[in-house]
Amino acid sequence: MKTDFQTVILKLQEFWSQQGCVILQPYDAELGAGTFHPATTLKALGAQPWRAAYVQPSRRPADGRYGENPNRLYRHHQYQVILKPSPEDVQDVYLESLRYIGLNPTLHDIRFVEDDWESPTLGASGLGWEVWAAGQEITQFTYFQQVGGFPCEPVSVELTYGLERLIMSLQDIENVYDLAWNDPKGPSPMSYGDVAQQMEREFSAFSFEHVDASILFRHLEDAESMCAHLVSNKLVLPAYEYCLKASHLFNLLDARGVLSVTERTNMIGRVRTLAHQCCRLWMETSHD
Amino acid sequence: MTEWLFEILSEEIPSRMQPAAQAQLKELTEKALQKHGLPYESIRTFVTPRRLTLVVQGLPLKTPDRVEEKKGPKVDASQEAIEGFLKMVGVERKNCEILETSKGHFLNVKINQPGRRTEELLSQVSLSLLEKFRWPKSMYWDTEKVTWVRPIRGLLNIFNGNVVPLSYANLKSSNKTQGHRFLAPTPFAVQSFDEYQKKLRDHYVILDWQERRQLIQDGIRKIAENSKPCDDETLLDEVTGLVEWPVPLKGRVDEHFMNLPLEVITTPMRVHQRYFPFKDAQGQLAPYFGVVANVDSSDHGKTIVRGNERVLRARLADAQFFWEQDQKQPLEHFNIALKTRLFHQSLGSLFDKVERLVKLSTRIAEKGGVNKKLVERAALLSKADLASQMVNEFPELQGIMGRYYAENQKENIEVAQALEEQYWPKVSGGRVPESLPSLILAMADRLDTLVGFFAIDITPTGSKDPFALRRAGLSLIALALNPQVDLSMVEAMGWAYETYPWKELPVPQLKNKEETRADLWTFLLERFKFYLRDVQGSPYDHVDAVLGVAHANPRLFDLSLRVQALDQLMDGEDGQNLLVAYKRASNILKIEGEKDKRTYQGQVKEEALTAAEEKELFKNLSLKSPEIENLVKKGAFVKAVQDLATLRPFVDQFFDKVIVNTDEKNVRINRLHLLAYFRGVLHQIADFSKMEG
Repeated sequence: MKTDFQTVILKLQEFWSQQGCVILQPYDAELGAGTFHPATTLKALGAQPWRAAYVQPSRRPADGRYGENPNRLYRHHQYQVILKPSPEDVQDVYLESLRYIGLNPTLHDIRFVEDDWESPTLGASGLGWEVWAAGQEITQFTYFQQVGGFPCEPVSVELTYGLERLIMSLQDIENVYDLAWNDPKGPSPMSYGDVAQQMEREFSAFSFEHVDASILFRHLEDAESMCAHLVSNKLVLPAYEYCLKASHLFNLLDARGVLSVTERTNMIGRVRTLAHQCCRLWMETSHD
Repeated sequence: MTEWLFEILSEEIPSRMQPAAQAQLKELTEKALQKHGLPYESIRTFVTPRRLTLVVQGLPLKTPDRVEEKKGPKVDASQEAIEGFLKMVGVERKNCEILETSKGHFLNVKINQPGRRTEELLSQVSLSLLEKFRWPKSMYWDTEKVTWVRPIRGLLNIFNGNVVPLSYANLKSSNKTQGHRFLAPTPFAVQSFDEYQKKLRDHYVILDWQERRQLIQDGIRKIAENSKPCDDETLLDEVTGLVEWPVPLKGRVDEHFMNLPLEVITTPMRVHQRYFPFKDAQGQLAPYFGVVANVDSSDHGKTIVRGNERVLRARLADAQFFWEQDQKQPLEHFNIALKTRLFHQSLGSLFDKVERLVKLSTRIAEKGGVNKKLVERAALLSKADLASQMVNEFPELQGIMGRYYAENQKENIEVAQALEEQYWPKVSGGRVPESLPSLILAMADRLDTLVGFFAIDITPTGSKDPFALRRAGLSLIALALNPQVDLSMVEAMGWAYETYPWKELPVPQLKNKEETRADLWTFLLERFKFYLRDVQGSPYDHVDAVLGVAHANPRLFDLSLRVQALDQLMDGEDGQNLLVAYKRASNILKIEGEKDKRTYQGQVKEEALTAAEEKELFKNLSLKSPEIENLVKKGAFVKAVQDLATLRPFVDQFFDKVIVNTDEKNVRINRLHLLAYFRGVLHQIADFSKMEG
C-alpha cells in the first residue's frame, strides 16, 4: 500500500467522504490548529447535525526550528474530522480509517491514553485521549464539552490526525524532511524537505529574528477593533476571521518572547473575549 | 448460590482513575443492597481500561414478605383528612384499625407488603449505581443528558443467567459483552461470572487488575534478563490500567544517548512513554527499556518495538539538543527569561521571587550562622533552570537540571546540590535535605510562597487548594524539624513578609504583617498537630499540652522534642503520678482562687513555710527549677522531664501530710503560692492542664 504524504491525505479524504463528511479545503487564513477553522469551532455549537473533514496547515511559531529539527515544525498539517452528534461507533470508525490508510491497529498497538483538551484562547474544552501507535501520538480524539464558553449540545467528536507523525510511523522514518511527499517511484519524486524546508527556514527566521513587534501589536489592536465592529454589525463569519487573525498575531508575539507576564495573560483574555462574542453571535444568528 | 453480574463497558477509562473506581463501585453496591433490604454473601468488583464489573453472590431470590404499618389521622379528624389518608394508603375505612394512644384514637392501617423479586430490585439497584457513581471528571456524549468518565457502550446485567432489565444512555442491558478491542471484538453472551471471566480470557482480556499487574511485573523482569528493572510502583500501576492483555517487550536505547544524565534518559521513558528503565549488575542504567503492549501481534512485536524505539530516539535526540543548547550560556543568564514567568498575578514574576529568595535565605543563613555566600548563590540560581529548554520540555526535571548545569559550570558542590534539593521533600514523608544551604533555600521557598499567598488572602478552603499551600505547609514543617536551623517560625514569617515589595505589587487586599503571621501560624499549627499525631504517633492530649505553649516557643523542632519527652514521661508511673499531683494542685488553686476572687501566683516566702514536707518541696523546687529552665533552653527536654519526675515524691508527701487550707492566713497563701510555683515549673515544658488523666 502506498504511504506517501499525499496518498494518505487522499485516502483520508476518501474515507471520511464515505462517512458522509463534507470535505472542505483548509481555511485561508493562518491558524494554529484545525480546531480554529469555523467548520469546527462555530459548527460545534448549536443543534444542527454536521460532519466535515479537511486538511488544515497549522502554524506554531514557537515550534519553528529553521528546518533543522527532525520532528518540530513551524507549520505542520492536521487532518481534522468533526462529527456532530458523536456517533456511537466513532472509535471503531476511527480505527477503520487507520486500516484504510494501511496502519494495522494490531501490529502497531493502538492505544487510547487519557488526554483532556483545552484551549484557553477559544474558551473551549473536551475530554478524550491521545491515540498512540507503537508509542507515537498520532491523533487527538476529543469529545467537545464546551466552545467559546458555551456548552456543546449535542456533543461533537473531533479527530485531529497529526499527519507528519502519522505518516512518519507509516513510512518508518526518523526525519520529517525525509518523508516521501509523493510517490517515490513516480516520475518526479519529492520529499517533505523538497516541498517545505525553505518555508521552515524562512518562517523560523521571521518569527524568532525579524518580527517587528510594534507592527504586530498594532495589527492586533486593529484586528480586535475590526472584530468588535463586525460583531456589532452581526457579521459573524468575518468577525470570527478577525478573531483568528488576532489569535495568530498573539502566537507570533509570544514566540518572539516580547510579552511580559501580565501582557500575555491579558492578551489571551482579549482573544478569548473575541471568540466568546463570535460564538454568542453564532448561537443567536444560526437558526437551527 | 445466586449470582448477579453487572458490567459497564465503556470507552477507555483513564488509568489513574481505575483503582478508585473499583473501590467506589463496591462501596456503592454495599450501600444500595442494604437500602433495598437485600442480604448477600460477597461483593467483588473489577476494572480494566474498558470495563467496570460487579459480581454479587448469595442474594435471595426475593425479599421476605413484611407488614407495613401506617398511622393515620385521629378518628374524629375532618372528613377531608380521613379521606386523604385512605386514598393515600389505598384502603377502605372499614379495613382500618383503631389505635388507642394517650393522645387519642387514631386510624391505623396494616398493609401486607409481599416480598419483591430480586431481579426487579436489581434493575433499580443497577440504575442507582450508574446515577450515583462519581468520577473525578466526567462528560456528556449523547443527547440523553447522562455523564460518565467516557461514553458507555454496553451494559451486561444478569441475575442467575437472566437479563436484568435496565435502560441507560440509550442502551438496553443484555447478557452480552465484548473482548479485546482488536484481537477479538465480536460480542459474546455469558450465563455466569465464571463463564464471563473465562470467556474474557479467551477473548484476550485479563479481568483482574492484580493479575494483570503481576503479569506485567513478572514479564518485565523476565525480559530484563541480566539487568534489573528499576522499581517504580506508580509506573506499574499506571501501565496496568492501560492494557487488557499485557505483552511486555524489550527495546534498545541507542548507545550514544547513554552519555546523557540518568534522569534525562529515564524521564521521557517513564513519564512520556511509560517504559520501564533497566539497571545492569553494577547499578548503572542499561541501554534497554521494557514496553508493555496491549496485543499479541503477528510479527511478535517487531513493529511495536521498532516504533517505540523510534519515538524514544526522537525524544532523546531532542533532549540531547537541549542539553547542548542550554549549556551554551551560564545558568544565571536564564534569570532574565524568568521576568516573563508569572509566579502569581499579585505576587510578581519568578524573577521577583528569585530576588526575594536571595534576601530571605541570606537572612535565615545569618541567623543560623551559616555561610551566607553559598546560600546567596544558590538562591540566585534557584529558578534559572525553569527557563531552560530541557525543563520546558520535561518539567519533571526542574531542579535536577539546575544541579547538572551548575556542576558543569563548576559551582560549589553545595550550591549545585541546593538547586535540586530545594524542592525536597517531594512527597509527604519524603527525603529532607541535609546540607544547610539546601535546607535554608527550601525553607525560604516555602515561607515566601505561604506568606505571599496568606498576605493576599489566598488560603486553602475545603477541597480547593490550587496553589498546593497545604503541601507547602507540610513541607515547611518537615524542613523545620531540624536542629540545625531551628528558627522561630513567627519571626521568619515576618522576614518573608518584609521581603515583599508590597507597594509595587498589584494587590487588591493586603493583610498586614501581624494578621498574616497570625493566620499562617494557626494554619501551620493545624498541619503540625496532624504531623505530631499521625506521623509521630503521639497521643492527642500530649500534642495539645505542648501546642498550648507554642505561642511562646514558635520553634517546631523544639516543640516536637517536647512532645517526645512528654510521651516518654507519661509512659512511666512517675509521670502519671506527677500528673495526678498537678491536677490536684491546679484544682485547689482554681477552687481557692474562685472562692477568694483572685489568682494565686506569687513569691513563696521561705520563712513562712512551717511543715517539714512543704519545706522539702520548696527546697527541691528551688533546686530543680533553674536546672529545668536551663535544660529547656538547651532543648534537652528528656533530661528536663526526668528532673521533673524526681519531684514526684516531694509533691506526694506534701499532699499526704500538709493541709493547704489552714486557718493561718499567711501560711495558707504561702502554700497556695508553693502550689503555683510547682505548676509553673511544669508549665516550662507544656501546658499540663490539657493532659488527660
